[in-house]
Amino acid sequence: MQNKKTITLTFFGMLLLLIAIVLSVTYGTKSVGLSDIIDAVLSRNTSAYNVNVVRARIPRTLFGLIAGASLGISGLLMQSITKNPIADPSILGVNTGAALFIVTGIAFFHIQSKPAYIGLSFVGAMLTTGFVYKLASLGYGGPSPIKLAISGAATSTALSSIISLIVMPDSSVMTTYRFWQVGSIGGASNEDILWILPFFILALIVSLSLSDQLNTLLLSEETSISLGLHVNRTKALAALCGVILCATTTAMAGPISFVGLMVPHVIRMLIGSNHFPLILLSGIYGSSVLLLSDILGRIFGRPGELESGIMTALIGAPVFILIIRRAKVASL
Amino acid sequence: MQQNHHLIADHLSAGYGEKTILNDVTLHIPHQKISVILGSNGSGKSTLLKTFCRLLSPTEGNIMLDGKSLPTMKSKDIARTIGLLPQSSVAPEGIKVAELVSRGRFPYRKFMSPLTSEDYAAIEEAMAAMEITDLADRSIEELSGGQRQRVFIALALAQQTDILFLDEPTTYLDIAYQIEILDLLKELNHCKHTTIVMVLHDINLSSKYADYIFAMKNGHLIKEGTPEEIITADTIHDIYGINSLVIPDPLSKSPFVIPISSHDAAKGIS
Amino acid sequence: MTTEPSIFIGIQKRRRQYVSTLCLLLLVLCALACLNLTIGEKNYSIYQVLHVLTGTSQEGAYLITRLRLPRTLAAILSGIAFGVAGNIFQTLLRNPLASPDIIGVSTGSTVAAVYCILFLNLSRGIVSVISVFAGILVAFCIYRISYTDRFSANRLILVGIGMQAFFNALINWMILKAAEYDVPTAMRWMTGNLNGIVTDSLPLLFLVVIFSLTCILLLRHGMQSLTLGDEYAIILGVRVRIVRAALILCSVMLIAFATAITGPISSIAFLSGPIATKICGKSQANILSSALVGALLVLGGDFIGQNLLFTRYPVGVITGLLGAPYLIYLLIQNQKGGRI
Repeated sequence: MQNKKTITLTFFGMLLLLIAIVLSVTYGTKSVGLSDIIDAVLSRNTSAYNVNVVRARIPRTLFGLIAGASLGISGLLMQSITKNPIADPSILGVNTGAALFIVTGIAFFHIQSKPAYIGLSFVGAMLTTGFVYKLASLGYGGPSPIKLAISGAATSTALSSIISLIVMPDSSVMTTYRFWQVGSIGGASNEDILWILPFFILALIVSLSLSDQLNTLLLSEETSISLGLHVNRTKALAALCGVILCATTTAMAGPISFVGLMVPHVIRMLIGSNHFPLILLSGIYGSSVLLLSDILGRIFGRPGELESGIMTALIGAPVFILIIRRAKVASL
Repeated sequence: MQQNHHLIADHLSAGYGEKTILNDVTLHIPHQKISVILGSNGSGKSTLLKTFCRLLSPTEGNIMLDGKSLPTMKSKDIARTIGLLPQSSVAPEGIKVAELVSRGRFPYRKFMSPLTSEDYAAIEEAMAAMEITDLADRSIEELSGGQRQRVFIALALAQQTDILFLDEPTTYLDIAYQIEILDLLKELNHCKHTTIVMVLHDINLSSKYADYIFAMKNGHLIKEGTPEEIITADTIHDIYGINSLVIPDPLSKSPFVIPISSHDAAKGIS
Repeated sequence: MTTEPSIFIGIQKRRRQYVSTLCLLLLVLCALACLNLTIGEKNYSIYQVLHVLTGTSQEGAYLITRLRLPRTLAAILSGIAFGVAGNIFQTLLRNPLASPDIIGVSTGSTVAAVYCILFLNLSRGIVSVISVFAGILVAFCIYRISYTDRFSANRLILVGIGMQAFFNALINWMILKAAEYDVPTAMRWMTGNLNGIVTDSLPLLFLVVIFSLTCILLLRHGMQSLTLGDEYAIILGVRVRIVRAALILCSVMLIAFATAITGPISSIAFLSGPIATKICGKSQANILSSALVGALLVLGGDFIGQNLLFTRYPVGVITGLLGAPYLIYLLIQNQKGGRI
């Protein structure tokens, strides 16, 4: 039964993704037809205006594809490691940590290059994740969902103050930051894609190979150890993948919240907790959700567009609240 | 302050959400005695206690205190008559024992005024009864499980209620602490004639300390009476579904239950 | 009845310590207020300030009575408001991190104010009124949404965090779409600052602070019982729903009014309670102490932001910086066996 569901879901997901890709390429301030897409893909008729519009939208779409999948999988990994249904880079404050490091880089070291962004964002995200996790582990009961969420929120608030301190005196940094911090896949270039693609593939392969271990980890820690699992190594590797996925995306696109929260949550509800299909489906649906949010942003934001980061938060936050309302009090 | 309070459950039903746990229970709490409620897991013992103490509202029926239905009475007035030691208690961290016990004086306190000499006397007496006077200036975290439990009982005593409910006051405590707590309660009942109603898991301890026993199953009150009337092989079988041998305790002569396992049965002992 | 003196002595000693700590805090607050009145771009002696305040001298009268005095008063009042409200939330929700600025209670005011500043170009007075209403409305929504079959502190916290995320997205959107030159105003307002405080907004804030503080003090025994958990509070005869709703309402009023006038000064609500508890111990209700600590933090933060750094920073940036070290402190404390 479970298998059938997985197959249906995969099929549907692919279909949704295809629709999202086509829409993402065609829909916008200037709409184009299908024939233009075919022309663009086959590099025919390159002088036509519409074809060029399509070609301009391709990097954005590809980038959204990878970023969405990264965020979906990253959220899934974080949720599995912390055994916490509401873990998400934005809830855990990881985005703000990455932002702080990038802002510091821009303001004090005049860093401009993409790889440096990724590096800074990665270090910031890693440190923040560790810090928040430690903070939430304080006291009675270990890192429960509620403590993780509130530690993340508190850390986020504290770090944003430092960001304002850095940003405020310097209006050029402020402008850069202002646009970066909303999170958007709109400005993506081919170069960006080349930067995040290797990280994505690497993390995807590693996390897929970890899926059996992750399944075991869902049992209690004692059981996992007695089954011969290297609990800490598995957790560390999975966390590393999760942070890499989220940090690279954040470095390139800015903080995009709630994709990593909603997608794995819903998928797990539908197909249970076998990690191999979970990882793949979180990727597929993550891409679809991000691309569709981006498209919705173009619809609602007319005549301009609404950044995808804002869109995902506007959709995701109510979903989050719904999840909370449905959850049993004791499990919080 | 000792009055003969009549506390009665009248065709009481209660539960969580749609689920009814307590079903049409009618009983009269015997005053100035120690009563124990026995029953298997999920039989509604704790639910009964919680309903008596207003933590759950009855879905049907009534709780009558001295002929008046509880919801019609003033909250603080009830709190001066009925006290409860809940199953688990969370203390605010870092609070000193004396201050924690003084929280039990809430129903007597006026707006904005500091603790009165009456308050102090009550706190004093409660702490002395639980033998924790020496711990007054210690933080609650520094205490052992048994000491902690005594602090919370002292809090309930400081409330100076004539009726005291206790929900499994001995869980998580080893046998020495269990006896210690139950002895203190017996003493309290003896000296101050406080009516005590508690849920206990241990049948033999119940038999030893109780004056009166209520037996519950599936949300119904199936039998009530003195330990001698209730603790019989038949009733134990009715409540828990196990076979047992009941003999008189060589010391107190109260009934003592020895469960019969399938191994015993195989050897033909019973 | 024999009276064992140790219990009286213990309780009363701690009580006396609390009162003397309060007096000490009050003294420091007065000193800091004097500092704020006398030092600035132009320095005056304390006598000059006194003369101006009593009306016997006109030298520097405008600077002192029109700028510094309202600023100092606003700092004290908003500090009290944030400090008390934060402490109430942390106590009621039984989590030292659960302050209203973290669980979204103040975002309603912020969103409304940012909208008014960026798109409606309204005057400061009207912005305040609107943001008070928006703040109370959003807080009410959070409370309602999180209240399913019964009250759950954890659910309230999480719903608040969700709301916070939603409103932050709205704020980001507005800031991105707004005209470039309005953005700094909005950003400054969002971090919380005391520039351009007008005297006529102060009496209202004063009344709200006095009223809410009195209500909270009246309810403090009930609040202390609530810290034992809802069950205990009911057993002790506290009318739990009413007491909690009243406490939350008072705190929300404090937050909304203070936010409307000064902006959400970060970390005050978050830090005042824990600092007050650290100083005064956990056996007291710590309402007045967190009020004083809050006022001290705002006043001190403003003094540093205005006078001691190379650029002038709004007070919110300075106080906001305290948040990170506090979290690190919590971590270090834990290594020594402290608790969250």
